[in-house]
Amino acid sequence: MPTIYDPNSLPVDDNINHYAFSIDLNGEWFTSKGAMIAYYGNIDFSGVAAFASRAAWVAARFSSPLYTQDWVVAAGQGKLVIGDRGNDINSYDLEDGNLTIKAVNLLAFQPSLELKQSIVPGFVTLIGTGKFLASSNGPVIFVEPPFRADPDALLGWADCPSPSQHYDYNWMAQSFMAGIQGMFGRESGEERQYDFTGAGTILMQSSEMLRVDSALMRIVESQTNLLDANSAGALGHKLIARAQQSNM
Amino acid sequence: MTFEQINAKVVRAQVGPGQEVLARRGAMLGYEGQVTFRPLAGQGQGVGGRVGAVMSGESNKMMATEGQGRVLYGFRGLYVTIIQITGDSLTVEADRLLAHSANLQTSIEMVGGGGGMGGAIRGAVRGAMTGQGLFTTKLSGQGTVALLSHGGTFPLQLNGEMVGVDPQAYVGHVGALQVDLKASVGFRDAIGRGSGEAFQLHISGHGTVYVQASEKKF
Repeated sequence: MPTIYDPNSLPVDDNINHYAFSIDLNGEWFTSKGAMIAYYGNIDFSGVAAFASRAAWVAARFSSPLYTQDWVVAAGQGKLVIGDRGNDINSYDLEDGNLTIKAVNLLAFQPSLELKQSIVPGFVTLIGTGKFLASSNGPVIFVEPPFRADPDALLGWADCPSPSQHYDYNWMAQSFMAGIQGMFGRESGEERQYDFTGAGTILMQSSEMLRVDSALMRIVESQTNLLDANSAGALGHKLIARAQQSNM
Repeated sequence: MTFEQINAKVVRAQVGPGQEVLARRGAMLGYEGQVTFRPLAGQGQGVGGRVGAVMSGESNKMMATEGQGRVLYGFRGLYVTIIQITGDSLTVEADRLLAHSANLQTSIEMVGGGGGMGGAIRGAVRGAMTGQGLFTTKLSGQGTVALLSHGGTFPLQLNGEMVGVDPQAYVGHVGALQVDLKASVGFRDAIGRGSGEAFQLHISGHGTVYVQASEKKF
């Protein structure tokens, strides 16, 4: 017999099973759009931008304009159940710490934490004291530096310096196509890893199907401001050629 | 023992001199130590291997892992099963191979058995009917293999009996087993009211069959 829950028997800030987490809401939490799967009680969901116009503190905690449209503020009292397409859900407690995590895997965080965009595209950093929830494909694997991680399998890192990029020249020299593609900035497999050194913890998961991070396009687009008009036009032609090639 | 199961979806391999690992490209999650990766064009030796590599296309692009260190392997959140081979052989579809010890011999075979033209035709029919590839990979020798599946696998032991397996649920087998495709297409199947089990693999002999609890292919 499965357990039948009511508002009182749902776990308090704990996992219901590997794939669902029950938040005991009394105040506000930031949640990513679509992460809520059920709730009891009197909870109001409003976009971060809309909420910020009413409460100035929101803007101070949510310092990541690129992700504003992907997040909502859940405010009120009740039990809020969070899930992410059958992925494992883990809760993390930060105590005056920092943890950087893949943006698409971050599901919810307490407003006592501050959210900032990481230097590494597609990642965000949480700073301060509080609880947050993140999903992973299978259980999270914790490893310590020195370690090199495949970009698709990297979930995040805590307390260590931002990674640098390591290129495996052995791979690129051995594979003619990899070398050619490398010149065009494309990848054929394992030639690029994130290289971690120093002290800290690295979070890994099994690599997964490419998931669209809607903010990633905005990040890349904003970086094209570095180009002058001619280079931007040339880039545009290359992108059109690539899109046509992948349609064939 | 070169592979260690970290969780249902990830394995860790100890790589060293004489302990190299061949793995599916893109399956390396991370590593520590002095480890390098080298792409391989195709697996298998001889004409059969080369033809197989061409015929099965991109699906079995492999790479060698060399050097000294520890490497994590996983692929798109699929479940991983570790199988030890001790002198016998494992037959499996190439795209289910996550990683294996480099000292195992690999060869690519046509599915259907029997060899010759008849075998090839049966293999082609089976491939067309079940969506499985025409070629399978056979690994033999002493070593470890990590296989991919949906939701994990379970072994079925055969001591001379026969077991019927849904072609989509079949993952691979160890030992000298006879694998036949049986079609039971009747009138009800023709009008779309069949049992949905018109095609079955009939496997018999002495060995172990690995089955996944899912009919999802990848």
